[in-house]
Amino acid sequence: MQIRDYIIRRLMVLPILIIGTSIIVFSLTRVGGSPIGIYLSHEMSPAEVAEIEARFHLDKPLPVQYVYWVSGVLRGDLGWSGVAAAPVTEIFPNKLAATMELAVAAGLIAVALGIGLGTFAGARRNRLPDHVIRVVAVGGASMPLFWFAILLLIVFWVHLGWFPVGRSDPNIFASIAHPTGLYTLDAILAGSFTALRDAIWHLVLPAVALGYGATAIIARMMRSSLVEELQEDYVDAARAKGLPERLVLRRHARRNALIPTVTVIGLTFGFLLQGTVVAEIVFRWPGLGRWMADSVLRGDQATIMTYVMFTSVLFLMVNLIVDVVYAYLDRRVVLGE
Amino acid sequence: MFRQIFGNPRRLTADYASARSATAYTADGRVQAGVQSHRLNGWSLLAALFLALSLMPAAMAQNVKNPGVLVHAADDEPTTLDPAQVEAGEGGETVILQVYERLLEIAPDSPDLVPALATEVPSVGNGLISADGLTYTFPIRQGVTFHDGSALTAADVKFSWDRVMTMSLPESSADTLNDIVAETRVKDDFTFEVKLQRPSASFLNGAVVAMVSSIVSQDAVEANGGVAAGQPNPFMTTNMVGSGPYKFNAWNRNENILLDINDDYWGDKAKLNVRIEIGSEPDVRVLGLRAGDYDTIETDPSFVSDIEGAEGVSIHTGGLLLEPIHIGFNLNIPEGKLPAEDTIPTDFFHDPRIRQAFNYGFDYNAFLNGPLAGFGDFNPHYIPIGIFGYDTSAPVYAKQDKAKAEALFRETGYWDKGFSVSVITEEANLFADAALVLKDSLEALNPKFRINVLAVAEAVFDDAHAQNPIEYAMWVKNADPFADPHPYLQSYQHPDGEWGEVHGFANGYKDSAKIAKLIDDASVELDPAKRAALYSELQKLLFDDPMWLIAAQEGVVMAYRSWVKGFAMQPLWPRPSLKFALFDK
Repeated sequence: MQIRDYIIRRLMVLPILIIGTSIIVFSLTRVGGSPIGIYLSHEMSPAEVAEIEARFHLDKPLPVQYVYWVSGVLRGDLGWSGVAAAPVTEIFPNKLAATMELAVAAGLIAVALGIGLGTFAGARRNRLPDHVIRVVAVGGASMPLFWFAILLLIVFWVHLGWFPVGRSDPNIFASIAHPTGLYTLDAILAGSFTALRDAIWHLVLPAVALGYGATAIIARMMRSSLVEELQEDYVDAARAKGLPERLVLRRHARRNALIPTVTVIGLTFGFLLQGTVVAEIVFRWPGLGRWMADSVLRGDQATIMTYVMFTSVLFLMVNLIVDVVYAYLDRRVVLGE
Repeated sequence: MFRQIFGNPRRLTADYASARSATAYTADGRVQAGVQSHRLNGWSLLAALFLALSLMPAAMAQNVKNPGVLVHAADDEPTTLDPAQVEAGEGGETVILQVYERLLEIAPDSPDLVPALATEVPSVGNGLISADGLTYTFPIRQGVTFHDGSALTAADVKFSWDRVMTMSLPESSADTLNDIVAETRVKDDFTFEVKLQRPSASFLNGAVVAMVSSIVSQDAVEANGGVAAGQPNPFMTTNMVGSGPYKFNAWNRNENILLDINDDYWGDKAKLNVRIEIGSEPDVRVLGLRAGDYDTIETDPSFVSDIEGAEGVSIHTGGLLLEPIHIGFNLNIPEGKLPAEDTIPTDFFHDPRIRQAFNYGFDYNAFLNGPLAGFGDFNPHYIPIGIFGYDTSAPVYAKQDKAKAEALFRETGYWDKGFSVSVITEEANLFADAALVLKDSLEALNPKFRINVLAVAEAVFDDAHAQNPIEYAMWVKNADPFADPHPYLQSYQHPDGEWGEVHGFANGYKDSAKIAKLIDDASVELDPAKRAALYSELQKLLFDDPMWLIAAQEGVVMAYRSWVKGFAMQPLWPRPSLKFALFDK
């Protein structure tokens, strides 16, 4: 099957998966507690509780509430976030941009360092750099994110004062327009070096904390794949025909070692998204993860629904992309069979 | 969480320091030659550099950070900035206190009322309270402008109060006005008059200074959605147009709230802009204070050991919060609804001896010296220390008395047969700690007693706590803070009050009518001495007939950078009990 046909087929199945997911998520969220719990207090009379329920159509049966929710989504109304005291649609884009900026920065660190370190270690198997990188990788894979994050805070925020927490200096942030919501990109578009420096300065600690674990996973996979590939016959053949070791590594072994690594990178995206919750809480990063954590603790169901649905759709899309990239890298893969 | 794993951050620094000093004094002052290979020299240098940098004292950064801005790290985010929608004790009150003003305010250093938008504090003596105690007249300050430039008049005051009562949002504190105000009237441009439904000793301290009674700009509201009964105003939920020393600048959700100095303020102008950083974890707030990025932080006594002695950090510990931490006894348990592991009958707490036995059995010192780190005190039922009417001679459950607890449990027959009861609480905070102390106290008293602590997420607790009737026999939380004794007694002790109805106090009071009458009489008694005598009698009655186990009244603990000048904290103001306009740095 052609890649194009495969993508079309997957995209056609996507709406069914999304509707099914939405029904499950909606039902489970409602089972989890009252959607107006954030507003309730024992001081309210039953009539007052009913008044709030009517405000949010919660006096209707569950299927009708679902229809209200779906029709709202189709109109671009995702409900009212009690935690943010604003419509979800108003808050969501900024939070999403903040989280994406963090996840992408962490992802870039993880991919660049992971592949680089993995290649470096794999090519120097059982030598000192390999041992050191393996120790670092084991540390990254096993160290709890919140612990590492607080360690970074103690050293680089409290003692050294090199990096701040939060996303920006409010004055610098307010000095430029934010057409994309991605602070670094907005700073570049505005041509403001001060804003770009501020954005990167604030991004360093959370991105490093979040990216370290993923770096470790990718580096370990890259190293082991490369070690395996370097023992293959085609590598010996390449060496036998006189190719320099550098080209053997770059043109042959590394490309093949990347195939399983790319799969891991796709899965790592999920790891990064999960990690943003912890990283955003510790570093006061105003993204989706922190908003979601607050919402779960305070029972803000409109936000929970939006986040879970968004994450589900994102995962479906990322899986699709990974499958396609996988097929591109490994021509032996036959899509759809 | 962090401290359980790391210990005190300063101890971590000390460990680094001792490691460094151990290295420095080995082998005649030389690094152990031969132990380190040449290959490792580069790594060692890097490690040494990293270590040295991490040990650089924070003193390097002791210059005032964020000059011109006071950075306050708050506990949580507001759900609204509208005085007509805010709930007592909610995060929005922190901001409303700074941006809006009331007719009267509580002084920074005493419980006295001082003029604010009204130029005089009404009293019978100055003729601003009528002889029958029903009519209050407020002369309104002239020359005050709102942040939108409109002039403040008595019409704005009437509009603000009427707006609250018209909207009457269920989630708000509108009842503070609805329950007492009969009529509002503009006598002239600068005279506002209120007629009450009945005389009230707590009207000025309870209603007039409450955040719900803040004065908003009529022009701003009418230009942005107006007033609709039962409907929040989205503009006012997220914007503020007041007359206070600060103007609202921005609310960046989950991030910060920015307030600017109001240069046109009628009174003493603020000296610093304000940035309220929202929702850091408690550990991160402490680190931020130590880093100097936060000037003031909201914390609780359990963090004192992390801050005490830190360079450039001061701790304010005077006084007590007005939010006693209490464990509720439910006398209105619905049949068949208790958790499966509970063995108590639904009328378990109807017997005052059981309630007394719980009060005697609780290890108060363990709670005070453990989770509260010694910052707190014990108050009689149910008037907090620092509130008018608190009687120093009233009996207090302040010491565990195992013998009395045992005797009372024996009298009721539960000593021999034992019981199992669940107590629900939010997880991982002082309330959960109080529940655990209760568990330890009673289970150590008698192995046949079982206290099941259900520590749940805030949303789950709120859901359970908001039910009527509540499906648990016991729960832990703190009281809402008030500036007058009446709301405490009305809410937490009156058989027909908020909790009296939910918990069914009438099922258990020895003399329910007498307690109700004392509370009602005290609420309309305008003679302070007579009113205090009524509260004194109440406190004695309520000691014998307790409807709560009051674990402690938490001490005030506020940490701030030493460069903050003019620091003042008034527990009678909404939390964190700070007016930023008083500060400089």
